[in-house]
Amino acid sequence: MLDVTPTPLQRLLRERRPGYTLPAPFYLSPEIFEADMEVIFGRHWIYVGVEPDVPEAGDVMVVDIGKTSVAIVRDDDNEVRAFHNVCRHRGARLVHDEKSTVGNLVCRYHSWTYDLTGELIHAEHMGPDFKKGCHGLKPVHLRSLEGLLFICLAEEAPSDFDEMAARLGPYIAPHNVRDTKVAFQKDIIEPGNWKLTMENNRECYHCGANHPELTVPLFAYGFGFAPEEMGEHDRAEAERYGCLLKTRHGEWEAEGLPSREIDELDTMVTAFRTERLPLDGEGESHTLDTKAACKKLLGDFTKPKLGGLSVWTQPNSWHHFLGDHIVTFSVLPLDAERSLLRTKWLVHKDAVEGVDYDLANLIGVWEATNDQDSELVGICQQGVASPAYEPGPYSPNTEMLVEKFCNWYVGRMAAHLGR
Amino acid sequence: MNSASTEPAAARLAASASWDAEADDALVCLAVRQETHDVKTFVLSPPEPRRFAYAPGQFLTFAFEVGAETIHRCYTISSAPTRPHALSITVKRVPGGPVSNWLHDNLKAGDTVRALGPMGDFSCFTHPAQKYLLLSGGSGVTPMMAMARTFHDLGEPRDVAFVHSARSPADIVFRAELETMARLDPSFRFHAVCEADAPDEAWSGPKGRLSLDILTQAVPDFREREVFVCGPKPYMDAVRAMLREAGFDMARHHEESFDFGALPEAEQQAAAEAGRALDAEAEEAPAATVRTFRVEFAKTRRVLDCPENETVLDAARKAGIRLPSSCAKGLCGTCKSKVTKGTVAMTHAGGIRQREIDAGMALLCCSKPTSDLVVER
Repeated sequence: MLDVTPTPLQRLLRERRPGYTLPAPFYLSPEIFEADMEVIFGRHWIYVGVEPDVPEAGDVMVVDIGKTSVAIVRDDDNEVRAFHNVCRHRGARLVHDEKSTVGNLVCRYHSWTYDLTGELIHAEHMGPDFKKGCHGLKPVHLRSLEGLLFICLAEEAPSDFDEMAARLGPYIAPHNVRDTKVAFQKDIIEPGNWKLTMENNRECYHCGANHPELTVPLFAYGFGFAPEEMGEHDRAEAERYGCLLKTRHGEWEAEGLPSREIDELDTMVTAFRTERLPLDGEGESHTLDTKAACKKLLGDFTKPKLGGLSVWTQPNSWHHFLGDHIVTFSVLPLDAERSLLRTKWLVHKDAVEGVDYDLANLIGVWEATNDQDSELVGICQQGVASPAYEPGPYSPNTEMLVEKFCNWYVGRMAAHLGR
Repeated sequence: MNSASTEPAAARLAASASWDAEADDALVCLAVRQETHDVKTFVLSPPEPRRFAYAPGQFLTFAFEVGAETIHRCYTISSAPTRPHALSITVKRVPGGPVSNWLHDNLKAGDTVRALGPMGDFSCFTHPAQKYLLLSGGSGVTPMMAMARTFHDLGEPRDVAFVHSARSPADIVFRAELETMARLDPSFRFHAVCEADAPDEAWSGPKGRLSLDILTQAVPDFREREVFVCGPKPYMDAVRAMLREAGFDMARHHEESFDFGALPEAEQQAAAEAGRALDAEAEEAPAATVRTFRVEFAKTRRVLDCPENETVLDAARKAGIRLPSSCAKGLCGTCKSKVTKGTVAMTHAGGIRQREIDAGMALLCCSKPTSDLVVER
């Protein structure tokens, strides 16, 4: 083995400097993008949507991950399943719209018909020796974490999903995702590599300068700060936040709402982090007046002032669970320099638009924030393409989670490719 | 205190749920009324209090247990949907007609019959107009009566002229009620035409069969009206010819028609019986066995006749019309189409969702018409 020449990717992984941003090829190279799709998005649990995306039997949602198209269906036993969206006959794509409702899954090319368990139930003209049983749809691993849907394209999915579900489930359960509906969905194409989109999400260093809406409800201090540099006012604010966090965690835990931080962002294969964070102002929701956006609260909640439960999963999602609504984000890479950011706003399934909530108010903060972030990702993508770019240092006080994202990524790539 | 809990009539009036024949097809006969010497009205209601919802002119399909045999018959509802707590059919005794005789001789208060429906789109509601002409012969009076009663009950300022043909004054069904309605409501006019005098009443009105002269005398502005016709086939044929001759716009002519021509073998016997009934008594009500409906394909502008016991897909195939299809058993949904007008009976095998059905979609491979249809194909 001594004379094996490592591939550039292996060398890049080996030479990555901890505490620093990744070298430019990780954000630019089509080859590394292919490797990302195969290793990261092909072999890990990917967050793709919520059970309320397919609320009733016969509902279908199509999610494309790279070249792979997956149909997620709710079958007649109310079970959510995922299949490769490819007919077993001549390979035609089965379902074409992002959301639809079907009786059975039918290929429009030759009407091969599959029931919602993926079994082939109708195929004309195939002769007596044809075995329908051998031509069912190919299943895709799918798990629902309290209503959040994760799929894994690998033959064998990482087995530590259960551990994540056991530890994260109790945090999410009180918000009862299954009892919600998608009030609004917005897809934006960010002009940057998916890792830049993720890195941007994993810190709030940039919030003060860029997110005038988000920082109304959200304390930037919740994501770290450097106390030694702060003036009197900022120090007082940080102390106020520290006290608030301690008091609220105590209250929420006493009320049966798990709130304290769990951080496994670079310590598990199916990595995650969560913490319930106090909100500023009225403390109710991610809105410009910090009050609940929806009159119908989620789950069994009787008051809206429950802070915001933040959940992060590697490699591609983050979520905010509030007392009155949920905002959930997934990042789906398109190519080395473009990524789809899919945001869904969920409210109680019985909530009526215009009566219980005003849509503009519900989505205002995050729609503005997403647009701002998209621009930031774009200028970063432009910058890393410059010959002058070299990896820069992360702040030890506010960019710990970015560092963990990169650690996880480098670790997972290395585990599959060898260092 | 709560009289509704003990008083059956109060309970029936308090009923809020609609009768759903799919859930319970049993109807109890509450009362039998002698309308004329050979016409009876049977008042029906579900065992549990329910409200009926239908369009005036619609019919029910009944399964009567006559002797050891189950015989299916369609009867138009004669009552008005404005009085939703009970429903009536009005039946004329037909010499040699097993069903009408059985009904007259056997069905009494407390008995149960089975019924499906309501069905059909022969209704003034399907063709809204300000002025109507209702033409009926014999017991073809029933759908007209339902329409007339509905407008009367609603107090709608609707100009309705009702011209009924009967054999004699003693055979005018609902005569007193129609005359009362005409007296109370100036916008409703009733005219009877009789072929002969009754033993105890000489007919002073127009005599003979309905003619253009008689019609012009009674309803001079008949050409401006939406016309509904129901009665024995010879009557309807004569009316059609008469209106056409008078230059009437036949797009506004609607009749309750029954095609006895292309009946499948299984229904031959029943059809023959219905035919015999018609021969024996020219004024027998339109109570047929197998109906044929008009199916119009809106995009391709094709029209075909589809018997009620044949799928739309099969009828289309026979007519040389090619519709997208594959499994032909309600599984694959390839033939899924929007039915923009009319109703079908569908037995699918999972190829369509209830939500799609609710949105007007149907699988043509397993849908049989229960009314005229317009299909978006």
